[in-house]
Parts: sequence; structure tokens; C-alpha cells
Amino acid sequence: MPVLTSDDMCLVCKTIRYLNKDMEFLINPECYHSMCSNCVNRLFNDGPNQCPYAGCHKTLRRKGFRSAFFGDLTVEREVDIRRRVAAVFNRVEDDFETLRDYNNYLQMVEDLTFDLVSGTDAGRRDAEATLQQWEASHKAEIERNRKAGRDADEMTRRRVNAERDAARQRRVDALREAEDEKVERARSREAELDSLAQGAAPGGGDGQRVQLKRRGQINRATAAAAAAALEPSAVSAGAGPVSSGALASASFSSASGALAEVGRLSIRGLKEKRKPAAAEGPYDPFGGMDFVPSRYRVRGGLDHPWLDKYRLDRSYATGGYSFDEYTRRAMFEAFAGLGVFVDDEKEVGIGLSAREVATIGAGIAAVGDRMELD
Amino acid sequence: MAGTANGGGGGGIPRDGLPMTMDLVEQMNEQEKRKYVKGKKLGEGTYANVYLGHARHDAGVLVAIKKIKVQKEYKDGLAPDAVRELKHLQELLGHPNIISLLSVFSSKDQNLNLVLEYLPLGDLEMLIRDVDRVRYGTADIKAWMGMLTRAVWFCHDNFVLHRDIKPNNLLIAANGEVKLADFGLARSFADPGTRMTANVITRWYRPPELLFGARHYSGAVDIWSVGLVFAELVLRAPFLPGNTEVDQINLICRQIGTPTEDNWPGVTQLKEYTVPSEVVPVWGKDAYMSRFGGAGSDGVDLLVRTLALDPKNRITAREMLEHRWWRTDPRPTRNEDLPRKSAGGEEKAAVDLSRRNGIVDDGARGTKVARKLDFGAAK
Repeated sequence: MPVLTSDDMCLVCKTIRYLNKDMEFLINPECYHSMCSNCVNRLFNDGPNQCPYAGCHKTLRRKGFRSAFFGDLTVEREVDIRRRVAAVFNRVEDDFETLRDYNNYLQMVEDLTFDLVSGTDAGRRDAEATLQQWEASHKAEIERNRKAGRDADEMTRRRVNAERDAARQRRVDALREAEDEKVERARSREAELDSLAQGAAPGGGDGQRVQLKRRGQINRATAAAAAAALEPSAVSAGAGPVSSGALASASFSSASGALAEVGRLSIRGLKEKRKPAAAEGPYDPFGGMDFVPSRYRVRGGLDHPWLDKYRLDRSYATGGYSFDEYTRRAMFEAFAGLGVFVDDEKEVGIGLSAREVATIGAGIAAVGDRMELD
Repeated sequence: MAGTANGGGGGGIPRDGLPMTMDLVEQMNEQEKRKYVKGKKLGEGTYANVYLGHARHDAGVLVAIKKIKVQKEYKDGLAPDAVRELKHLQELLGHPNIISLLSVFSSKDQNLNLVLEYLPLGDLEMLIRDVDRVRYGTADIKAWMGMLTRAVWFCHDNFVLHRDIKPNNLLIAANGEVKLADFGLARSFADPGTRMTANVITRWYRPPELLFGARHYSGAVDIWSVGLVFAELVLRAPFLPGNTEVDQINLICRQIGTPTEDNWPGVTQLKEYTVPSEVVPVWGKDAYMSRFGGAGSDGVDLLVRTLALDPKNRITAREMLEHRWWRTDPRPTRNEDLPRKSAGGEEKAAVDLSRRNGIVDDGARGTKVARKLDFGAAK
């Protein structure tokens, strides 16, 4: 006697498939206990009722029942949970500053999903609370992301359809061309034979008979070829695009579910929201910088007898050498290092990591104005 | 190496996992070296190889590691270009438009490694040359020129001459910011009495005073290059592509005007002063308008000032930034909106397209398989 599995027998009414070939099993995502459609009708026709499985106290409604997609109900349940989490945590990589932030986010979502799927009771409760809280407090954002995802899917679908249409059009065109060519070839042959039949003498005998016999065959062959050529084009134009189009849309909707992503109470590394047309000030060609020395002012040229002989040298003026620049540099170098306190640095020097030194150095730099930055 | 940590003689300051035999400098070098992981080779130059690398603590922080080759001519020390690059980059830290030097360390055989920030989006030359796929307008040119001019201003204000400004030394960071790189020819301003070499700056961007062999020059040489980069951005082709130095002088005479004693006092005294016999008067702004009208009237005005023959009359970087062109319309494009190089867009799209049909088929097969999978059996 064959072993009865739950696929063959309803565990509620013990009906076996042998007696009811069309038996269909339904599950309710409340508890994922499967029962046959007859039991569902019988038990839940008059409104909500308790799950008939011993020890299961979930209250089920008929509306909640559906047939399972996967044979393994734990998988069915996990997929349901994942779908739900993905609908809430539906961020995409572009929302994040760095790949690392995005990966952290994915990790967080996966942790939460794991808690929901196979965590302890406490873990599951916590995760559930987190999920609901997040959903409640970020409704608008979730909706926006979902809409963006839908739009993207829609665009992809349209593009794929356009591509497919173009490909089909090309195929049809190619077929028609081939057909036209064949007809044209047949016609020219026909004309050739006609001229042969008219022009040839009645005593032409054998050669002519052979030609005419072959003509009949050719006629038949062209008809068959034309029919054959028509057939595949009808198939491709009819059933092909419709069915594959439906499949394409199905696979895309599931892809969008998997794409959508996650986050817990606070998600790190999200990109700053672009401010719509941020009111910028006027363009600053200097980029907000100013290198005017703070400890001295350079006035006019520096006069020094040592410089005069160079000043008089024509090759300096012609080449564009600038004595003002020399003055500025001389002044700068004279003042460079003021505001740097070697004693302070000595205390820090050895025994600290480079990073600590850098921090302290930055502190000194901040105090000592901008001298050592130059 | 960590295993030998206990073996060394005492005295050194113990640092994490480093042998005690190392002196302090070696330890610091080793620590610096360990902060980065060297990756694949990005390119090879005449005096250095460039590798992609990342910080050890975070693989997301990318850097370019420039490993200076040991050169035969300079056995006793470092090659002068390496010294120049190192010396001036560390002086010029902290400006957003100049490539930043993150670290320096030596690896085995005393090879010098410069850790530079990684600029993934190519250089300005790629954008200028890619006429088919990259479109840009006046606002974009203004933004790029603004960043270049600020970089040059910063160099000159810190008394550094770059001496090799050209579009392929202007690299583009991930955020669109243009950064001045390659300080292999840089030097600081010379004191009076010191001669500088006239054999610097890539020929197309070399100013007339260097072509005539002047040995005492100033930041004006960089400004000439900036002006030619500006012209190249507008034309999308080099403005003065001379084949030889003589040809370069001829081009300058023809396109800009012949340097004479009138427009450049003393020029005939320069050592290598030779100009074609036919004297072309210096072109006015109107002549430029027909070719460079795309930059607008103010832009052309700025261009003419950067291309003044006499370096004394040439505009300085600071004066450039004070020019009214920056304040007139169109406003410079924001960094994030600047055109980017198209990363093999078409080929990639072609691959994507050819794959699409297969995916649909796979999906169709998958839906049938799903039911038959027994996930329970895997446990």
C-alpha cells in the first residue's frame, strides 16, 4: 500500500486523493496549516473560525486562504515574510553614499528577516515591532520608493517590449523579403519557359517535354514553400509575444520585490536629500579662499642694493621675472614658522601614533592662525 | 615578520608586531606602508608605475600608489622629477583643486611610493577629445576653468611654478572636481641671480618667453598654458599644435601676433629670438570672437589677456579670478552636473541588450521548476 503523504490526504477530513482526484490544498498565511478546499468551505463558510489543527488557536477567515506556490510550506512562509519585509525596506543602492553603507543596510535587513523567519519567539516579536514601527513612521518614504521602483520596472518593461517588437518586425520583414524573392524567381522562370514554349519548333520533342514537366513540379514546390513560409510568421506574430510578454512582466515584478531593500530604526550612510534648487549665493571665483597674509602687509617693491643689479638686468624684465613676487616670498619666508611652538610639538612627538600627532597638529594649526598651512 | 618581534635587542619602542631591530624611522615607514594595500597596475609612465590601492582598514577608500622607478642616470639618489613632485605636493596640501598626497613610504630596494588620492574619472583631455559622446557648454567650461585657475592661483600664492599645465594633467575626481596633478616639473620661484631652465612645459602649451630661451621668468608661464587650455576647451582641439619648436613659434606669430620690440620691449635680446620675416600684428579681440565666440564676449576678453605675448602684461591668476567673466551668465555648472566620461556606454548597452531575451526564457523555466524543488531534503 502506498504511503499517504499530506499531498495525498487532507489531514483535517482524512479524504484521500484516490476518492477525490481534484482535491486542492489551501493554506492560510496565519498559520500555514494546509487543508483541502472542501474543509475550508465547510469550516469557514459561516465566518471566522479556529484552525482545525490540534493545538493551533489561530482564528482564520476564508478570505485568507490560498493555494501554496511552493510544495514546501516553510519556504512558502519565508517567501511571504521576505516579500513583506522587502515592501517596507525598499531602498536601492543609489540611495546610499557608499557601497559599504548599502551592504550594512542589506545586512541589517537580512538580520531582521532571519529573526522573523526562524528567530526565537522574543526575537520574532522584537523584529515584528521594529518592522511595524518603521513602516508606520516612514509611510511616505516607502510609498515614494515603491513608486520609483514601479516606474523603473515600467520603463524596463516598455523597453523590452519595444525591443521585442522591433525584433519581430525584423523577422517578418526578412520572411516577406525571402518570399518576394522566391515569387520573383518563379515568375522569371515562368517567363523564360513561356518564351521557350512559344519560340520552340513543334519538333522540339524531348527537351521541351522535360521542361514542361518540370514546370508543373516547380509550380507545386512554390505553393508549398509559400505556405510553409506563412506558417511560422503566423505563429511568431500570434502566440509568441503574448505569452512571453506575460512571463516577462511576471519575472519583473518578482525582481522588483527582491531588489527592494531594508533598514532598521536608523539607516546610516543614506545620501542627503537633494534640496530642490538650493538657493546658492553668487559664484565665488576664489572658492571661499583668501591667502592674504595676516601678520604683515606687503607694500610696494622691496628696495635693496643687492637687488638693484638684477633690476637693471634687461633679461629679467623681458623674461617676465617679477620682483614683487620675490618680495612677497621673502616676506612670507621671514614670517613662516611664527605661530608654531616647537615645545608643544616636542611634548607630543614620540610615543604617539601618527593620528594623534595629526590631531594635535591640527589643534595647533587652528590656534596658530594659518601660517603653517601656507 | 610578526613572529620575530621578540627576537630583537632591547632599546626600541615596541610597536605593534614590528621587529625591535628596526630603528624608529624604519618602524614609522613600515607602519605607513601597512596602511595601504597595493592592487592592480593602472598604468606605466617613463619614471613611475601607478597602481590602484586601497586603505587597509577600509577597502572602500581607494588610492593611487605611484611607485617611482629607479633610474639608471640617478643611481646615487632620487630622480629629480620625483623629488620635485614630492617636495611641492607636500607644500600644496589642502586645496580642493590640487591632487592630494596622502602618504609616502619606501618599499623594498628603496623604492619610493607616493600615495595619492585616486581620481577615477579620467582627465580633461579625454572629455575634450571625445567629441561624439561628450557634449559640454559654456557653463561647463567656466566651471572647469574656475577650478583650474584656483589651482594655479594656489600654486603661485605658495610660490610654486607648475610648469606642465595641459589638459591631461587635469584629472577629474569622482565628484566632478578638476584636480591639477603631475608636479614632476614644478619648482619654487627662483631667487634673483638664479637661472631656471627654459626647457619645460609641453610644447603646445609653452609660452613664447620659454621658446625664446628666457632664463628668468615667473608665474606668467603657467598662465599662458591656462589660456591655451581654455582655448582648447572651446575649440575641442589644440589651439597651437606645433610639430617643432620653430613651428610652435610660427604658429604663435600667425595666430596671436609676432613678438616685436613694440609689443614686448627687449624681446629681440632673448637668446633664441627668431621669428618669421613676415610680421603679423597682434590680433585684437574681434579676431578671436569669430573662433572663440562660444565663450562669450567676456570669456574672449579673459582669453586675450592670458595670451598676452609680453609676460609682464599677462594677467595673473589672481587677476583672472577677479575678472568679470565669472560673474556674468551663464553661471558655472555645479560639480555634480558636469559632463562625465562615458564609460564604454555603447558597448555595455549592446551587451545588456543581447542578454535580455535569455533572461526572459530563464524566468519561464524557473516558474515550472519552483514547485518541484524540495527544500526540506537539503536539511
